[in-house]
Amino acid sequence: MRVLFFAQTRDTTGTAELEMKISGSLGVEEIWRALIAAQPRLAAFQKTTRLACNGEYADAETRFIDADEVALIPPVSGG
Amino acid sequence: MEIEIQITSQPIGAQKKMPEKFSGSAGAFAEFSGIVRASENGQKIAALEYEAYSPMAESEMRRILETLAEKFPCLAARVSHRLGIIPVGETAIYIGITAKHRVEAFALLAGFMDRLKQDVPIWKRRSLTPAEFAALKKS
Repeated sequence: MRVLFFAQTRDTTGTAELEMKISGSLGVEEIWRALIAAQPRLAAFQKTTRLACNGEYADAETRFIDADEVALIPPVSGG
Repeated sequence: MEIEIQITSQPIGAQKKMPEKFSGSAGAFAEFSGIVRASENGQKIAALEYEAYSPMAESEMRRILETLAEKFPCLAARVSHRLGIIPVGETAIYIGITAKHRVEAFALLAGFMDRLKQDVPIWKRRSLTPAEFAALKKS
């Protein structure tokens, strides 16, 4: 699974992306657990940061598989 | 509704106009430009730097425009958002809405900007002080 970081999450992890191996299909909470296990400092962002799966916002129904691209979307500020 | 979205690192010029093909059918052309101000959080700045998750930013903008157009039917929407370092006084975002009537054009424009600021993955990454911006231009 390719994981993309933007804005503050990129600053915190010090990287724009990482590869993470997952098995089966996981929900949002499980993906967060895996992310925090890989990068513990991401825990600070869980409440404010949305996940996207293949370019669309994830919700409670979303299931992630290893082939997906996940992006961490902190609060946006465009315009 | 015709939708044209551009995410660019280049300056957004003033060349945008109502699409010629709607001449005769359109009764309104509403434009908005979001421009970088000289202060950010009370600090004097010379530029802002923007970044985006570009593929998703484009698809989210399209989705928002299509959703709003169901309620406020318009003929066309053009959006350009600039990324990278944008000096004070220059345009960060441009929107041009072509419609039959002004009410729909204004409503779509205002609704789009509100949603953009909630859902489109674009970020102001940092502000540059005049000294930082001058040093960057020299390098």
